[in-house]
Amino acid sequence: MEKKYKKKKPKSTKKIIAVIAVFAVMFFTIFLAERGKIQMPFVDKTVMVVLSPFQNFFSWAGNQIAFLQRGITEIKYLQKQNKQLREEVELLRAQNLTASEYASENQRLRALLGYKQASVQFDLVAAGVIGRESITWSSVIIINRGTLDGVANNMAVVTEMGLVGHVLEASANTSKVQLILDPRSSVGTLVQRADSRVAGIVEGDINNPTHPRMVNIPKDANVQVEDAVVTSGFGGVYPKGIVVGKIKEIHNDEGGLLKYGVIETSVNFEKLEDVAVIVASREAPPEPLPSILQTHGTETDPHETAEQLKHAQENLQQAQETVQQRQQEQLQQAQEQLQRQSGGETP
Amino acid sequence: MKVFAMLALIVISMYAAQTSLLTYLDYNGVSANLMLLLIMSAGFLRGHYFGVALGFCVGLLQDFTSGDFFGCTTFAYMTVGFIFGKFSESVVKDQFLLPVLSAPIAVAIYFFVTTIFIYMLGYPIYILHVAQTILKPLIFYQLIFSLPVHKIVYDFDKFVRESYS
Repeated sequence: MEKKYKKKKPKSTKKIIAVIAVFAVMFFTIFLAERGKIQMPFVDKTVMVVLSPFQNFFSWAGNQIAFLQRGITEIKYLQKQNKQLREEVELLRAQNLTASEYASENQRLRALLGYKQASVQFDLVAAGVIGRESITWSSVIIINRGTLDGVANNMAVVTEMGLVGHVLEASANTSKVQLILDPRSSVGTLVQRADSRVAGIVEGDINNPTHPRMVNIPKDANVQVEDAVVTSGFGGVYPKGIVVGKIKEIHNDEGGLLKYGVIETSVNFEKLEDVAVIVASREAPPEPLPSILQTHGTETDPHETAEQLKHAQENLQQAQETVQQRQQEQLQQAQEQLQRQSGGETP
Repeated sequence: MKVFAMLALIVISMYAAQTSLLTYLDYNGVSANLMLLLIMSAGFLRGHYFGVALGFCVGLLQDFTSGDFFGCTTFAYMTVGFIFGKFSESVVKDQFLLPVLSAPIAVAIYFFVTTIFIYMLGYPIYILHVAQTILKPLIFYQLIFSLPVHKIVYDFDKFVRESYS
């Protein structure tokens, strides 16, 4: 028995030493990795490539389940909705005429505001979210677009509602996106209000994972609750003017000289399904040309001139038609006269 | 080799399900951590050396893919595997209530370890707030999923033991 024990002891000691060594190595790895001294992009990308088909499959399955769940929920309320809808139909029929009027007005106004032109400055690649970690200390999602689709590290990721984050690491088919909720994320921002334009940094709050904070705001700065916050373009990662959210609360910082705002993000990160990666951005399209100064006394209204030209063209066309008609009538009369004359000569 | 391939398939499938499928059931962004349950059950059934080894592999997988603080999850999972593996010899392996009751303890150990590291890395943490927003829903999810995960690990363990006996 004693012999057995003696034989086993070195093996057990080796195992214990190995376990302690692994724990010790991991302990130091955490601090070195946080300082960026340990990077294994190849391993990282390989793991992502292996994992992506599984994530794609489960993401698809999740979508189907969610779709089914929505269907069941809808059936549950169908009867109640049906009754309500019948009442609404009557009301809506009456409103329909007004609505179509509003629709055309809306179309005109949208064109007027140059809404489409605002997004022309970005080249976007649409992507689906296929993986996301449960909110713990970091906020990172995985999207189904990678370097093969033109996605690269540090590209901004947005939805139609506003800023989502930036690409942390792009592999061939998938990419990791660090959300603006992540405590390690920092975004250069501005208060959008024209008479404020206060700059600050929006960073994730580890204690409040759903609401980031706008920090480094001087205590006397002109910042109010409900102020919209947009990206400043400083730093080069995020293009200028993307909506981040609005200020929900303002608090004084512990130091006393600064204050910070709690941000209500414009993007609903809990229901993030589709995003777009800004693969290229350029300057906004130029402003429309200003109207040319006209010499006093000879001013012409371009709209009026165009109307006059149109009228003139119409008049010209009418005149041409009248002349053609007259000519045809005269020709007809001449032919009839000729026929009559020739009839009189031959009895 | 076949056993390792099967284990790898179980780990990858469960991790993909955790990050893709279970997020549809999240509560304020928090959903179940199947990897933690997997390591806890494996520790119970196969001992602390296996618990630490599996914690190391699964933790690295998660650290590489999630973009979390690198190494934090690995260290926490290894600790969980070690602690629950230590109970391996003193518990009855066929009973299913113990893994369910141990799930909140595994969450507590995981959070204790990660919280210490996060604090040491210089990020301020308000424990009570974190407990309210993250721990409570996470423990709830872990209690629900602990039994199915343990059943998978138990069946796999049984298969391995029968294959090699």
